[in-house]
Amino acid sequence: MPFKKQKQHQQKHSGPKAEKKKLKKQNGSTEEDERKRNPKAFAVQSAVRMAKTFHRAQDIKTKKHHVPVVDRTPLEPPPIVIVVVGPPKVGKSTLIRCLIKNFTRQKLTDICGPVTIVSGKKRRLTFMECNNDINSMIDLAKVADLVLMLIDASFGFEMETFEFLNICQVHGFPRIMGVLTHLDAFKNNKTLRKTKKNLKHRFWTEVYQGAKLFYLSGMVYGEYQNQEVKNLGRFISVMKFRPLVWQTSHPYILADRIEDLTDPERLRTDPKCDRTVSLYGYLRGTHLKNKGQVHIPGVGDFQMSDVNFLPDPCPLPGTQKKRALNEKERLLYAPMAGVGGVVYDKDAVYIDLPANHVKQLQEVRPTTELVQSLIETHVTLDAKMAASKVSLFSGSAGLDPTDIMQEGLREIHVWDAHTQTQRRKVVFTGLEEEEDDVSGSSSDEDDDGSDQENQEEEDDLSTFLKEVRDKSEKATKGSTPPVKKRKLEEMQGEEEVIAEAPAFADSEDELERGEADSEGEGEAERAGDSGHCSKESEEDSDDEEDGDEDDESMEEEIGADDSDEEEEQGKYHSGLFTFSLCSILWTFKWKEGLQQKASAAFLRHQEAAPNLRKLVYGSVVEAEDSEEEEEELGGLFRVNRPQKSKKVQADALDCSHFNPDISHNWELEEMLNSIRDCFVTGQWEEGQDAATLLKEDEELYGDFEDLETGKVHKGTTGEQDQAEVRDSEYSVKMDDEEVQKNKRLEKKRRLKERFDTEYDDGDATYFDDLKEEMQKQAELNRAEFEDMDDESRVQYEGFRPGMYVRLEISSLPCEFVTNFDPHYPVIIGGLGTSEGNVGYLQMRLKKHRWYERILKTRDPLILSLGWRRFQTIPLYHIEDHNGRHRLLKYTPQHMHCGASIWGPITPQGTGFLAVQSVSGVKANFRIAATGVVLDLDKSVTIVKKLKLIGYPYKIFQNTCFIKGMFNTVLEVAKFEGASIRTVSGVRGQIKKALSTPPGAFRATFEDRLLMSDIVFLRSWYPVSIPQLYNPVTSLLLPVGQKDSWSGMRTVGQLKHDLGVRNKPSIDSLYKPITRAPRHFNPLHIPKELQKALPFKSKPKLLQPKGKVPRDLKRASVIREPHERKVAELLRALSTVHHYKKKVAQRAHHAKHKEFLQQKEKDEEAKMKRMKDARKKLYRIMGQKDQKKQRSSLKGTPQDD
Amino acid sequence: MASHGLTYEGCNFLRQRLVLSALSGKRVKIKNIRSKDDEPGLRDFEANFIRLLDKLTNGSTIEINQTGTVLVYQPGLLYGGTVEHDCNPQRSIGYYLEALLMLGPFMKSPLKATLRGVTNDLTDPTVDLLKSTALPVMKKFGIDGEGFDIKVRTSWYSRGMAPGGGGEVVFTCPVRKTVRPVQLTDPGKIKRIRGVAYSVRVSPQMGNRIVESARGILNQFLPDIYIYTDHMKGANSGKSPGFGLTLVAETLNGYFLSAEMLSTPQGQGDPILPEDLGRNCAKLLLEEIYRGGCVDSSNQSLALLLMTLGQQDVSKVLLGPLSPYTIEFLRHIRDFFQIMFKIEVQKPLEDERKGGDKVLMTCVGVGYSNISKTLK
Repeated sequence: MPFKKQKQHQQKHSGPKAEKKKLKKQNGSTEEDERKRNPKAFAVQSAVRMAKTFHRAQDIKTKKHHVPVVDRTPLEPPPIVIVVVGPPKVGKSTLIRCLIKNFTRQKLTDICGPVTIVSGKKRRLTFMECNNDINSMIDLAKVADLVLMLIDASFGFEMETFEFLNICQVHGFPRIMGVLTHLDAFKNNKTLRKTKKNLKHRFWTEVYQGAKLFYLSGMVYGEYQNQEVKNLGRFISVMKFRPLVWQTSHPYILADRIEDLTDPERLRTDPKCDRTVSLYGYLRGTHLKNKGQVHIPGVGDFQMSDVNFLPDPCPLPGTQKKRALNEKERLLYAPMAGVGGVVYDKDAVYIDLPANHVKQLQEVRPTTELVQSLIETHVTLDAKMAASKVSLFSGSAGLDPTDIMQEGLREIHVWDAHTQTQRRKVVFTGLEEEEDDVSGSSSDEDDDGSDQENQEEEDDLSTFLKEVRDKSEKATKGSTPPVKKRKLEEMQGEEEVIAEAPAFADSEDELERGEADSEGEGEAERAGDSGHCSKESEEDSDDEEDGDEDDESMEEEIGADDSDEEEEQGKYHSGLFTFSLCSILWTFKWKEGLQQKASAAFLRHQEAAPNLRKLVYGSVVEAEDSEEEEEELGGLFRVNRPQKSKKVQADALDCSHFNPDISHNWELEEMLNSIRDCFVTGQWEEGQDAATLLKEDEELYGDFEDLETGKVHKGTTGEQDQAEVRDSEYSVKMDDEEVQKNKRLEKKRRLKERFDTEYDDGDATYFDDLKEEMQKQAELNRAEFEDMDDESRVQYEGFRPGMYVRLEISSLPCEFVTNFDPHYPVIIGGLGTSEGNVGYLQMRLKKHRWYERILKTRDPLILSLGWRRFQTIPLYHIEDHNGRHRLLKYTPQHMHCGASIWGPITPQGTGFLAVQSVSGVKANFRIAATGVVLDLDKSVTIVKKLKLIGYPYKIFQNTCFIKGMFNTVLEVAKFEGASIRTVSGVRGQIKKALSTPPGAFRATFEDRLLMSDIVFLRSWYPVSIPQLYNPVTSLLLPVGQKDSWSGMRTVGQLKHDLGVRNKPSIDSLYKPITRAPRHFNPLHIPKELQKALPFKSKPKLLQPKGKVPRDLKRASVIREPHERKVAELLRALSTVHHYKKKVAQRAHHAKHKEFLQQKEKDEEAKMKRMKDARKKLYRIMGQKDQKKQRSSLKGTPQDD
Repeated sequence: MASHGLTYEGCNFLRQRLVLSALSGKRVKIKNIRSKDDEPGLRDFEANFIRLLDKLTNGSTIEINQTGTVLVYQPGLLYGGTVEHDCNPQRSIGYYLEALLMLGPFMKSPLKATLRGVTNDLTDPTVDLLKSTALPVMKKFGIDGEGFDIKVRTSWYSRGMAPGGGGEVVFTCPVRKTVRPVQLTDPGKIKRIRGVAYSVRVSPQMGNRIVESARGILNQFLPDIYIYTDHMKGANSGKSPGFGLTLVAETLNGYFLSAEMLSTPQGQGDPILPEDLGRNCAKLLLEEIYRGGCVDSSNQSLALLLMTLGQQDVSKVLLGPLSPYTIEFLRHIRDFFQIMFKIEVQKPLEDERKGGDKVLMTCVGVGYSNISKTLK
């Protein structure tokens, strides 16, 4: 549909308006001046108006407030994600290269994947280049903190820029900074200035007025000018960010390292098998829970099989006071670009150590040998070792995390000897010994591990670790890439190791913790338990020590039991070597039998400070695992024992009552006494005791002056104190004075507090209160887990944002690995509760005003909603005045409409955008629509209008028989009483079905119908939403074709592609309208009525004349030739005569006219004469009169 | 794409599992429901509960196998609105109401549930208890407002004692988008004790006898005790005779601890004297006070759930010793929401006379927001 070009606004160039404007512009702000010049105009005219303006001002002020939110930013925030976007060939890579060089003094040739650098003491940056693919643009807009938007000034804005801006707008607006490049292309200075200004203003309208736009004037040796880059860097490093709703409510990771952990043997046999992949990156957003669901845009939804945190590869420098970073601290980490240590290929490991990096890399990364050994053995081991070492050092604070990998092995000894005092036995030599030792330790549990034992442990541990390391090195040297499991199977003989491991795990609290995260749930709990214990022991709280020891002893007992069992069974022996498997094995054993103990011990432990945590979270594991213990008889029958305690518990009564402790006898006085203080009548605490409070009050308000009597009452306490002071010796007087001073200070402080509460808080607004509350909550959030070590902390609050984490996902499609391209971002977005489900979504949608077409219902559309990009089939609808959702065929042009889709459940208020295809680059603007999620519902009520058409086949007065609307009697019965209408507007109602023809019915109308009328019934038919949810799997496509994802095609596209032409229904075609002339019957007026009508209204149609009788008919005369001649002559004569008469008449006429004129003239002259005569006469008469008068006045006239 | 869901065994804690499933949107499968029992499968009251849940939600699917030993529940959206439900008399309304209290604030439209059945029985917390303790707990979490109530208006509210039932309760609850984090750490001292001694279809004297004996014990501690006697007659008295007492202790900081005791239902076990009942109930209250905390033992799980569903902030609550039900609830919370609580035992000081150990529960909420609520 071609769009009509709107008429442009035309600015006035002349006239009063233009002049006014010009004047305004010239004078600038004349407001102040006016105020002075015309004070009356600004005086208060009306109090009401004043109040109104005041209210308005306050409203505007209040509107500026943001709803206060709890500040949840972590103390050590993750690196800031800077996304560099722009059309191709605009200088994105060059800019990143320059910025990196500016911050780190290092040159990075290939920008590939995210690059993390330390830019300042408090700030790290992750650069990511966004290629010219709408998929990447959408994904990166969701994770960006800052967007550097590169614009080729010599060309102007390109579609990509506007597209990206619109994407940003939908997914929360990150900070956007424009960068103009290619400014050296302008030769003319004036055009340069003009272009800059134009571009700036356009940019401002898109982002906000006054948005920062940088100018990179030109290239020097293929790089931007140093000073300009430096300025840009400064801006970046002081930039502040506001929290975006989606980002702060979801954890996410921009993966900067990816490894395939799949068993190579499996790969060999089935190259298309699902891969186990570990992804690394900084955690951002909010806390990440282990085992949660994640979405990888471009791949799909996955369950995390494991998460653990690793030492930071790019740590912030220490907190020493200095201005700049030294060379060592300017770190750079970009594993995908091959910098920062190790790059993993499919089955090889490349370690990139350029000469100029060596020094730094040694600081950051472990030595190659160790890295290889760790990696080659197994990556879980690697992670575990790394993690466990971190926890080893947690005791000895202040260690540089970079040392950890290098010195881990050596340091273990130190740690063993010093920090961990209550260690239990570890024996690595043989099974028997281990068993002995364990039982021994359990017997002498009270004695907290003597030094000798510790020494023993140390040795054992070190030997064990050495063994591990040797093996791993061996593995490294092997020609084939080492595989964990295969390797294990080879080493059948080494059973001591296997046997050792459980004991090792049993005794090593700290190492268990390291393993915790990599293992199953039970493992995590277990590890957490031990972590808890050790933490408490560090705190050295005597009370809890006992409880801990109890638990540990219990644990040890179980361990001993387990090892017994293991001996008997001996089936776990073959090939269990690594920590993980051993500890799994160990947990299985550990779990058994604890349930009973725990449940039995529960009530006993109520008083004795049990480790509740273990009780709560520790015993779940057995409930799940210690199931099938049924014996078999001859391998055929199973003994069906009556259910054990656990089963009974599983089927017990579901009741929330907590039965009271029967040991409490509330008849006894001591029991009653034990709760005395719970009542207001009991004893109060020091600070709140009534007596103390009274005393305090007396101190404050004790001194007062009775105004009537003028007597001054002094507080008694002060006097007493003074007396005491006087009494006391001089030597203690100094101390007392100190006390007095303190007291006075205290008093002052309290007074001030009271004053503050009285006067300040009255002024505080609701907003201030809210803000303070949020502040308090934020402080509490920070303080609550602050002194806990990370291992146990992550269990409570999840992984903190800012941590460098490693995720393991077990079933990624193989294409993800085989077609991996580091230029495309891999984002792991965490999903909230129930965001993994699919359901119906109702949204508000508006077609983008720059998109050239309107959208059609049921045309598949690609939506970007939440983390996801997916294709779905929307139905557009609009709400009628009565709340009905009416289906629309197309989206309205300039209006919002509703859209309903089948898609992933996403919280209400989340914005989305829609594109019609993500493949290729099109000339036009690609964003088809934007909108917001309004509602999630499992059922939708969209209806479409349906008109059922019928034709009358028999018409009585107002009743009519109609056929063709329905097919059966039953259908009619369903619609009995429904209102129907004819096209001409006659309304009616369905009455009853007729037996024949089927589907016909009787209906009544308000007027008589015609046979030619069409009757229709308007009904609303509910429409079901097609359930298409097709995630865009663009990351799985082969390298180079990642931007060519295409999903379901629209019907139009399909027809176009297949060359199918629609065969339209003949009725729908446009045909020339041929209207048969309509014949109307004559109006019949009854005779009676006709009589009564006035003549005017009577029909004037006369009776047609009857036949004229023959005798009345005149015969026609036929003339003789002579006669004819005579007649001819007569006619000619008469014609002449007529003519003459006419001429004569005309002449006479003219004469008469003349005569009249003459007559008139004469008349006039006559009149004139008469007038003159009359005048003369009157004058004479007047004179006569005068004379007469004069003479009468004078008396008798004298004779002349 | 739907999440894989969780699997449990046995019929115990069925309510918890279904409620958490409905809130988290995770599918739950419960196997081996009384599979070794003489009467295998779900009982009537459980089926009735599932039916109630079905009425409250939209789009949930429930599959039960033929013997009733396996239940698969795929939760739908919590819809709310006006619901009428006849509860099975095997369990009291409290059984159903406990679940409704958990679900109520997270519905699409405000809930108005009319429940009919047994209002008071021995196994579950009675309606009176929930009204006086659960509602204040929820108010602390910001779930408040007009029409947040369990209606106890005598004009159309009626009591129904255990075997017969015949009572009616109306629970109304407003909708909230988010739940506030709380710090309930200082219970404060108990300032007053209130209670209701109710009797239906027995002599009205019973109430007074109960009150007398209960006061006898509690007056040792506090003078401010008032126990109402509530005798119901005629249509309001339900179908079975019985009597009981609910006691509530209110602290200075506005927390409520409660205890209750009922007569044994007609025709089941030995009858109990009202004096004994009063005394025992008072002792139960003392026991509850001994346990202490800011939330009483029957509402622990409710408080913990609301903490879990709070904003991503630290919430703290001081509880008495955890009941087995609560412990299982904590495990379920971890399964459904991956939230672990920090559990710290607070031992009383040497010379303090404030009852037994307390447990300080701390957690960071999941940042749950009510996805059912419509945005306008």
